[in-house]
Amino acid sequence: MPEELILSMKGISKSYPGVTVFEDFDFDLRRGEIHCICGENGAGKSTLIKMLSGAHSPDKGSIYFEGEELENLNPHSAMKMGIQTIYQEHNLFSLLDVVENLYAGNQITKGLAIDRPTMVAKTREILKYLHSDVSPFDIVGRLSSSARKVVEIAKALVQDAKVIIFDEPTASFSQVEIDHLFEIIKRLAQNGKSIIYISHHLEEVFRIADRVTVLRDGRKVNTYAIADLTEQKLIRDMVGRDVSLFYQRDKTPVAADVVFEARGLTGNGVRDVSFSVRRGEILGIAGMDGSGRTELAELLFGVKKADSGEIFIRGKRVRMKTPLSAIRQKMCFITEDRQALGLFLRHTLVRNIPIVSYTRTRTPLALPADDIKISEKYVGELKIRTPSLYHLVMQLSGGNQQKVVLAKWFASRGEFFIFDEPTRGIDVGAKEEIYRIMVDLLRQGKSIIMISSDMPELVAMSDRIVVMRNGMASALLENGDINQETVLKNAIGVA
Amino acid sequence: MNLRTYSRRENGPMFLTLLATIAVVILVEMIFVRDFNISKVAFIKPRNIANVLMQVSTTGILAISMTLVMVSGGIDLSIGQMMCFIGTGMAFMMRILGVNDWLVASLGVVVAVLFQGLMGFIISRTKLEPFIVSLGFMTIYKGFTYLITNGSEITIVDHFNFLGGTYFNITHDFRIGMPVLVLIILEVIMWLVLKYTKFGRSVYAVGGNENAAYLAGINVKSFKLLVYGLNGLFVAIATMVLLSRLGTGNPLIGDGKEIDVIAAVVVGGTALSGGKGNVWGTLIGVLLLGIISNALNILGVNPYWQYVMTGAIIIFAVLLSYFSGLSSASVKTSPRRGDSEKGKKALAN
Repeated sequence: MPEELILSMKGISKSYPGVTVFEDFDFDLRRGEIHCICGENGAGKSTLIKMLSGAHSPDKGSIYFEGEELENLNPHSAMKMGIQTIYQEHNLFSLLDVVENLYAGNQITKGLAIDRPTMVAKTREILKYLHSDVSPFDIVGRLSSSARKVVEIAKALVQDAKVIIFDEPTASFSQVEIDHLFEIIKRLAQNGKSIIYISHHLEEVFRIADRVTVLRDGRKVNTYAIADLTEQKLIRDMVGRDVSLFYQRDKTPVAADVVFEARGLTGNGVRDVSFSVRRGEILGIAGMDGSGRTELAELLFGVKKADSGEIFIRGKRVRMKTPLSAIRQKMCFITEDRQALGLFLRHTLVRNIPIVSYTRTRTPLALPADDIKISEKYVGELKIRTPSLYHLVMQLSGGNQQKVVLAKWFASRGEFFIFDEPTRGIDVGAKEEIYRIMVDLLRQGKSIIMISSDMPELVAMSDRIVVMRNGMASALLENGDINQETVLKNAIGVA
Repeated sequence: MNLRTYSRRENGPMFLTLLATIAVVILVEMIFVRDFNISKVAFIKPRNIANVLMQVSTTGILAISMTLVMVSGGIDLSIGQMMCFIGTGMAFMMRILGVNDWLVASLGVVVAVLFQGLMGFIISRTKLEPFIVSLGFMTIYKGFTYLITNGSEITIVDHFNFLGGTYFNITHDFRIGMPVLVLIILEVIMWLVLKYTKFGRSVYAVGGNENAAYLAGINVKSFKLLVYGLNGLFVAIATMVLLSRLGTGNPLIGDGKEIDVIAAVVVGGTALSGGKGNVWGTLIGVLLLGIISNALNILGVNPYWQYVMTGAIIIFAVLLSYFSGLSSASVKTSPRRGDSEKGKKALAN
């Protein structure tokens, strides 16, 4: 076990106007270890990253790197010293190729000219080391999000990283992609790089961590060696209360009548998919990334037109020409990318929440008094934490942003909900709230189609599961068949 | 905690700037004429105030619909040349062909709406930048103007008197012309439309996040078409106002107007990226620019300084909104509209 410290923080305090984010925080990182940071949203994980990457400086306390105290750390000097951060969002030039991205601002030169052949050769070397099949000449914007993550890692290596910080790297990754990433991370650690890994996904933490530090409200709860830690303990430390490992939803009665039915839907990458949803039911849709789950949702909601196939709502054939036709049929679509597709980030809550309730009606009026009434109602019902209705949505946390999306659809009095990755990027507590809200919908006799990459979540929540593979429905699982192994087997096609 | 706590006054900074500008102008004039009797300050004489209002009326009308276009995420550079085109076209019909005023006015409106609608059609059905499309239309209109006039102006006397020749006397030396009344009426209508209608919500929604607006059930394509068409209507009205005031169909009647209008809208707090702005802010912007130009006139400053001043004010206004934006939004690294690859992919047809 390597014991040499590469980085340590002592007595760190940091506050922003109105809130103390960190108080007397200690942290140390050993050479060659994978150190996971766990904590709910708002526990201080992103502030920790910002302090280590030099974006923000602590009010009190000191940071030591390789034995020396760091003063006036800024993002540039942090990178120069070898602290590289790989953020959740990509920080790459999507129009440039891999080589140019790896050496952006850092080109190898021969005299005055840029020495591209050397750069290409070195890029090849690094990509090979990472076991990546990405070509140095691939345009980054055309790569999948997991391949882009690899490019970011390669970029960190080019800049001679000693510490690499990963912030939620596996969002939207499939199982295979996660496996590949973990393999890379483990190899980096074996070769003496120190890894700080931040994730909501507990199973990931248990797979790769050497040590785990749990944050809660800006304080360190504890640092554990992974062998001393159980999931129960970790969760208890994170939320400060005991929660069952996965959310156990209340079983609600499912009515016999089919309220929504798709027959032979084809188009937009989806081939011949049929299924039905009953009143009060959650129909889960499983599948690996690229299996056509979101594409199917787009067909159901009229975002894309189907080439063939039919949709029936309460036995009546409905044509989904645009999202408006779906909305008029009381459908709701909680998109997987809430920031790009679900929210008006730079608008206030009171502008966001009532929007669908207006588009579904045929009157031309939209009254501010109604805006306030509707928004107040759903902010209260969904317990959205905001100082005021006139707060900008982009200033809310991920979980609260998701609730704003829900409020928007609830205000439209929808009956059929499509949830696409409803809990992506939100913390454990907020996830549970979302689950509870979904079960409440069922109790009101509404129906849900739920797409999720989070297998435990999907298994725990669904009454039945359609597994998608290559654009087709490869299996329909019910009751006793619903478990992680069966779903996974059908999704990757070994069943 | 009260959820209805409302702290942000969007037009506040610009309104203060307007008041400060007025104060500075008065002060400068008092020092300049070395007469500290406020009643002798020409700038605040009722006659001059009426004059300023009249001068800004055309820009004001155009700026109302430009606010709509820009808040919803677009821009229209063609309005100046569109004015030249339908202005000279209407003058041609009245003077050379002897067509009735009302018929000419209707034709002007129809042509303006159709052409701007066509522009809106192209912008809404493709991913082309409104900047470039409207630049193209601007040049087409310029061509039409010279085809109609051959470069010379067409004087019209006693036409559209209803607009240019109607005044309402408020006091013996303060009267408001019909153009000002038209401006005020359109301003109020548009304010009500933006505040109390679904159409108004769509303006902000489409400008704030086009993809989210589409998924929320807004028909983004027809909406954009409508906005540009509406802009055509406003251009037609502004053109008639200007024609009636000047009494001549000059091929340069609206030349460069788009700059004044866009400047006023931006000064008034509308974000170039869309989603933010309102017509009262725009009116403040219009008045601010109008007052500066009027003050420079009164003070006998070389009129070419007006360009320098206008430019400086635009930059000042943008800086002001930049700094107030920094303090109000704590999240600086928020993703911009349409930044997400997923979002683009999902809606690329």
